[in-house]
Amino acid sequence: MTAKKARGKKKKHSYIWLSVLSVVLFFFVWWLFTEGSLGTIKENVLPGPIKVFQTLIDKFSNKNPDGATMQVHLWASLKVTLTGYVIGCLVGIPLGILMGWYEKADMFVNPIFDFIRPIPGIAWTPLFILLFGIGMLPKVIVIALATFGPALVNAYTGIRQTKEVHIWVGQTFGASKGEILRKIAIPSSIPFILTGMRVGLGVAWSTIIGAEMLAATAGLGYLINLCRGIYRPDIIIASMICVGVIGAALGLVLTFLERQLMKGGRW
Amino acid sequence: MTEQRKVKIRVDHLTKKFGDLTVLDDVSFDVKEGEFLCIVGPTGCGKTTFLNSVTKLYDITAGQILVNDEEVDLKKHNISYIFQEFSAMPWLTIEQNVGFGLDIKKVPKDRKKELVDEMLEIVGLADFRNFYPQQVSTSMNQRIGIARAFATKPEILLMDEPYGQLDIDLRFKLEDELIKLWKKTGTTVLFITHNVEEAVYLSEHIMVLTNKPCHVKTVIENTLPRPRDVMSLEFVKMRDHVTEMIKWW
Amino acid sequence: MLERKAKMWQKIAAAAVSFALLILIWQLAAMNPQFSQVMPGPFAVLQKFFVSFVEPIGKNVMLQHMLITLSRWAAGFIAATILGIALGLTMGWYRGFEAFMRPLFELVRPIPTLAWIPLVILWCGIGELAKYVLVFIGAFMSIVQNAYHGAKSVDRTIVNAARMLGCNDRQMFFTIVIPASVPAISAGLQIGVASAWSSVVAAELVRSSSGVGWIVVTGQQNNNMTQILVGILVIAVIGLLLALLIRRVEDVLCRWNKRGR
Repeated sequence: MTAKKARGKKKKHSYIWLSVLSVVLFFFVWWLFTEGSLGTIKENVLPGPIKVFQTLIDKFSNKNPDGATMQVHLWASLKVTLTGYVIGCLVGIPLGILMGWYEKADMFVNPIFDFIRPIPGIAWTPLFILLFGIGMLPKVIVIALATFGPALVNAYTGIRQTKEVHIWVGQTFGASKGEILRKIAIPSSIPFILTGMRVGLGVAWSTIIGAEMLAATAGLGYLINLCRGIYRPDIIIASMICVGVIGAALGLVLTFLERQLMKGGRW
Repeated sequence: MTEQRKVKIRVDHLTKKFGDLTVLDDVSFDVKEGEFLCIVGPTGCGKTTFLNSVTKLYDITAGQILVNDEEVDLKKHNISYIFQEFSAMPWLTIEQNVGFGLDIKKVPKDRKKELVDEMLEIVGLADFRNFYPQQVSTSMNQRIGIARAFATKPEILLMDEPYGQLDIDLRFKLEDELIKLWKKTGTTVLFITHNVEEAVYLSEHIMVLTNKPCHVKTVIENTLPRPRDVMSLEFVKMRDHVTEMIKWW
Repeated sequence: MLERKAKMWQKIAAAAVSFALLILIWQLAAMNPQFSQVMPGPFAVLQKFFVSFVEPIGKNVMLQHMLITLSRWAAGFIAATILGIALGLTMGWYRGFEAFMRPLFELVRPIPTLAWIPLVILWCGIGELAKYVLVFIGAFMSIVQNAYHGAKSVDRTIVNAARMLGCNDRQMFFTIVIPASVPAISAGLQIGVASAWSSVVAAELVRSSSGVGWIVVTGQQNNNMTQILVGILVIAVIGLLLALLIRRVEDVLCRWNKRGR
């Protein structure tokens, strides 16, 4: 028994080493073909890991070549994303709940959303730029639209998946329709609502990067696209790292929210 | 004494169809106030549909259900239902779950606390009050449902194979507990089970249902003295009699 | 049966009513000159849509634009499907391979697809290849992710039963793991379709000279709202058809699974 356990543990250890090895190997190969002795790849195509790291650090204080530091761009993207995201959630989740709850309304509203949903959020960007110029407003609307879809669909599904027996419990105790919605259907759809918020956040963060490539004077998408024109892949990759890290950090906020709302574990 | 009790539930020509499938066919019976009625029948005969129709959780196809001589109304009549499947809400702690019915019925806070504490004690969940249902065992989950149902001190208690998934010793304990509660509160109990011994142990009357389409085959009066001894001759006789009645082959 | 049919007609009627109502409101609004200055009415858009099948926008007529975009989508999506399923399943089934690949995958995964656009253009040029690669990235991530979880959560009972019957590793992978992961894979494909669609549209918006995304972005550059709306309409219709197509494929593949549910 203990021998078996020990062997399992040993096996697990070797897997961890394998993981470490793969990451080390990845960076080593990257380095080898760029900055290393086999450095055949030009810096304006793929800069080496050390160069990218230096650029990443440097960009937080260096305004060149685009006239702003990394944190300025970061904040520009975040501001738009969070504003649009919150609006998208605040409209999408309640609407999804209502559509899930009132079948009659659902029959009328759902077909229109089914039609609009396949349109990627980014495709709306030119329309709103034409309507409202290239300021913050059109991008906020685009992000809100991108968030809205997944937020609505998941809240809707959550309400629809409420367990019949939970509704029965409410009914036998004499709960009114409103009470069943508030005390049973909505809480029971929390996991779905949170999934919608998570998917929505991913879509929103991706969409803002795209939208900023189309029309912006700041923001990570703007920075990345600008550096393509001037052949600075080091800044592009450094910015992509920032995009990834911020995206992951925003995901962690949602994980925290999940822990708070589902204290006993998922259901 | 039995004769003097007034009718609590009157089921009148109850019929329930799902599409073309008739599950309940013209069922009529009375339940007296404070009676303990066990309902037995072959598997899949529609026992759950039966209770769900009596409470009008399902729309019934035809017939009438009266409680205290008026149409059954879940908002007016104090009814509790213990379901066969787990019905504890995973977003509430065990304590909040047990108090759920009291919340709906707007019971004042301190009274609610009192009732919840009492029930948690009885079903042995007091130490787990701040846990969530998905963190405790299946038998504890079933006990949450039982505690929640009793906490509202219902005038009618419906139980759908509530002890089917419990360990045998816990089942015996809760059966005795149920009898105690029933005697103390005077609740009218409708108890569905497939376990004949359990029915004979608990009931005043045993209603035997037939196979689908389901109707009442017979009602057997059970006057064995309490506390009942499952090994006594009368008990075994009664058990065999009921088993004989259930057989549909 | 009859009841279900009646319900379906009811649904269709409701959908028709709400679309009619939407178009009516839009049309009424468009009659106001101030509104129609910035936003054309629904019939103007529909007219332009049909005309564009004969009169080219840019160098191509509408059907060509649609086919160009679709072929970009298909090339990237098919490649992502094949490689994604293969990688996901292997990663989910073989522990050693998982330990090696998963960290690399997780390193790249947080980067949104659209953030890749400039780098991919820089590497692959502004031709077709860049679009294929972007569509590939978009679909690949979710397909791998789902296939991986599918293979990872194969029912242990089935695996043990197969092992007891003398199933070897290779048989196990092909006769147990792959079929058992089909539902998860098709869920991944559904998400993949949508994100591939979004990638191709975004790629065309940022840099291209044809395709439905290009129609929208040139509409913006020429201050032509009608053209933008026509583009969005086409994007919606194709997106919807693709989603329906993949759902149909799923129905066929998962027949055994649906019945169980």
